[in-house]
Amino acid sequence: MNTSMGKKARIILASAFGLALFSAGPLVFTASAEEIPEGFKKGELAPEPPADMIEAGKRVYFTKCVWCHGVDGAGDGPGADRLWPRPRNFNQGTFKIRHTASGELPLFDAKKPISGQNDLYETVTHGLPGSAMPSWEGILTEEQRLQVLAFVTTQLVKDRKFTDKQSETQTILQVAELKPKEASEESKKRGGELIVEKKCIECHGMEGRGDGNAFNLKDDWGFSIQPANWHKCWNFRGSRQDPYNVKNIFRTFSTGVNGTPMPSFADNTSVDERWDIANFVNSLCERDAEGNPLSIDPQTDKPKVNFVIPSNPVEGEIPADIENEAWQKTPKRIVAMGGQITHKPRNFVNRIDDLWVRSLYNEKSVVFLVEWDDRTKSVAEGKLPWAPTQVNIDVKEQDPKTGEEGSIAAHQNNYTVYNDAIAIETPVKWQDLPAPIKPRYLFGSNEQYPVDIVKWEADGSIRAFLGTGWDQDFQERDNYQETLKVLKSEWKNGRWYVMIERPIGNKKDQDYDEDTLFEMGKYIPTVFFAWDGHNGDAGRKMAVSAFYYTFLQPPTPQEVYIYPFVIAGGIVLLEAWVLTRRANKRKGKTL
Amino acid sequence: MKALMSVGALVGAIALLLLVGMILDVVPSNTVRLVEGYMPIQMLLEVACFVVGFAGLSYMLSAMGMALPRFWQGIGFWAFVLLYLKFRVYPPIPFSVRAMYGTVSLVAVFMWVSANEDDWKKFKQPIMNVLDAQSGANKMLRYAYLVLIPILVGFTSFNAMKPKSEEPVELRTVHPAPPASTKVAGKTYTLQTSQNPYRVNPEGKFDQEYSNKLIVEQGMGRLMAPNANPWDEKNQGYLKYVREGGEIFFQNCHFCHGDNLNGRGLHAFAFNPIPANFTDPGTIAQLQETFIFWRVAKGGIGLPNEGFPWASVMPPWEQHLTVDEIWKVILFEYWHTGYYPRTWD
Repeated sequence: MNTSMGKKARIILASAFGLALFSAGPLVFTASAEEIPEGFKKGELAPEPPADMIEAGKRVYFTKCVWCHGVDGAGDGPGADRLWPRPRNFNQGTFKIRHTASGELPLFDAKKPISGQNDLYETVTHGLPGSAMPSWEGILTEEQRLQVLAFVTTQLVKDRKFTDKQSETQTILQVAELKPKEASEESKKRGGELIVEKKCIECHGMEGRGDGNAFNLKDDWGFSIQPANWHKCWNFRGSRQDPYNVKNIFRTFSTGVNGTPMPSFADNTSVDERWDIANFVNSLCERDAEGNPLSIDPQTDKPKVNFVIPSNPVEGEIPADIENEAWQKTPKRIVAMGGQITHKPRNFVNRIDDLWVRSLYNEKSVVFLVEWDDRTKSVAEGKLPWAPTQVNIDVKEQDPKTGEEGSIAAHQNNYTVYNDAIAIETPVKWQDLPAPIKPRYLFGSNEQYPVDIVKWEADGSIRAFLGTGWDQDFQERDNYQETLKVLKSEWKNGRWYVMIERPIGNKKDQDYDEDTLFEMGKYIPTVFFAWDGHNGDAGRKMAVSAFYYTFLQPPTPQEVYIYPFVIAGGIVLLEAWVLTRRANKRKGKTL
Repeated sequence: MKALMSVGALVGAIALLLLVGMILDVVPSNTVRLVEGYMPIQMLLEVACFVVGFAGLSYMLSAMGMALPRFWQGIGFWAFVLLYLKFRVYPPIPFSVRAMYGTVSLVAVFMWVSANEDDWKKFKQPIMNVLDAQSGANKMLRYAYLVLIPILVGFTSFNAMKPKSEEPVELRTVHPAPPASTKVAGKTYTLQTSQNPYRVNPEGKFDQEYSNKLIVEQGMGRLMAPNANPWDEKNQGYLKYVREGGEIFFQNCHFCHGDNLNGRGLHAFAFNPIPANFTDPGTIAQLQETFIFWRVAKGGIGLPNEGFPWASVMPPWEQHLTVDEIWKVILFEYWHTGYYPRTWD
């Protein structure tokens, strides 16, 4: 309406503001540096937990936690030296998963167990996947979880104080009030551009498999740590047992991970940009063939495992190209891997924790395509100091108690580098084993029930062995090796792609018992072994799977298309018979 | 009577709602959703609760003049059993086993609805009505069935005949019979007479009563008894050895059996089935200490023939630990789970 009046007022306001700015220049500048980043709000420090809670928490701590976190909470309990990542050292008050700004203490209020407002409570409740910290929900009551945290935050955090208004602030990310942006193609595309622009890929790698800069990263305590692999969201420490929830990624990206090189991006990204990045990172996590999130097993908080690996039939040559339709159509199975801790030298920290396996077969051979994430391509420098057949190689085992310097965590980037490798083990005489019986898991039962092992190594070699027991050296099968073929072996952006071809076996001679016969339509027990050369894996220091079954899918027989019609026809006749009978009976009655 | 029945109806309604929530995935799986690890008594009790609830519900409905016909009661109960087995129990029961339970419960339902002539008549009345097709609606139904049943059967048989790849079912002997004695590190231990040398009072005498008083308290959380902290420097006897056993456990065993001894350690997800859960009353609580000693020392490789399949990767711990260390770990496992070892008498 009165535009001139408005203009005048604006000029006055602007000049007043300019004057203020000019006169109090330095003051304003410091204030703007402390400006609260977008999406955050100032919060109050929580009150000190009552003394009785702290006392009760001590009892919980010394029953459950002390074994890893230690008597003084310095992360040096009896279990610590064989773990990587090492248990948290509480003394400094450095906590990874928070809603608070970078460097601040996490949210903890002993009286408010509310999700989104109590970081430490959520950590204890849901655990930290990918580390040894389990979920304590269902084990400790809500009250016990709060009690133990009351004890930890007041007694074991020694360098900082959760209630000290002089030194501590709380700037809280308002996740509950921020609505996630829809994960549209556009948003993901922008996120994909932003992760390059914000240099995320420098650590997390070109494809987000955590393979960038993997060996130079250290945490606040000087231990080697590795960037997260965005394709395994169930291993995100902050996944809160809800790994496909984009809010978790948004939170971690906004607040950073204290004690690690992962910074907070709150100051140099807008909330909108952060959602784009979170949407993009979330879209990378493994999904099934239809693009749906993998279903998570509530017993282990990892993807559910299907122990049957179906192998589809192929006419003619088996293609070596993963993009080929035959490979795209054959089902892909996750194979869960654990450390080999049955025989010495045990592998307490396995850096390969899953493989993805596909298989195809034709009348002559069966091919396994194994893909797995490995942050480093490892090829042994020079000749290995032992024969490839030796299984009892004396790789020194980690002593149980070495102190921080000698612990597994401290060793992580200075192992002698061996070959990355993969092996497929199948029993030779599975037909002779009554249905549930399997040969001994590691390297066969005995001379009578041996196993057939095919091993590929990163130096390009492929070998065949016969295993006759966990304590026996392998027998090398030179003549069989010629029949094996590596169709593909490639390491790209933190992932291995290896395709191994082997003969399907001798079908004519029933007594033939030197290698496994892959019979169509039968369940062939199959075990996978994996070695990460940069983890010092060699010999029996390796990752192992449980028994899976390779199943060569028989082509659908003709009868399957005929019999159902015959059966349906039969039913129609049966119906007619019942109806006539009933009608006759009624007639008989009424007559 | 009426009050009792309305309570029953309330129970039934709530239970049904919960089950529907579970089926539709509304109730999150980590709350009350799943009976984990086949706990037969819990399952039987629950089903009994449901039955009581259903009785109450059906009474209330008939009192309100909306009685459910016997035919639908039978079918509904059978459907309930099938859905319960499929959605309530974890790990999932294989289809073949569920089919067996389904058949048994179908027979049971038939016995129930045909208990007397009257009931049986009531039950089959709706079927007869459709067959006779006296009313228009029944006529429609009859034609619908005439077409649908052959299609359905044909489709099911096609699905059944199509080659499939489901994991073969494996039966396991959970607790194979132990041998009379076992030889570990050159010494023979008779299982009937051996004792844990560390289950001792401060004077160094074997004393199970003393140690039983100091184990963690049963009940939620399983916390240590007040003033029985194994980390107390002044401990002598039992509690001191519990701590030493715990140290060994957390350097060797927790990778599979888990920080809370519930079989959910770091490597657990690579197993099939997941490692033994010591907090389950069906494992160490049922066994003698010497049985555990034999299993720990010999591991999966030392299972007798009836212990097949040999899929267990339990290490033969005699390769890694001394006899003393094995006894201490066993001591710790009983302390931490709050169970008493069984004795031979």
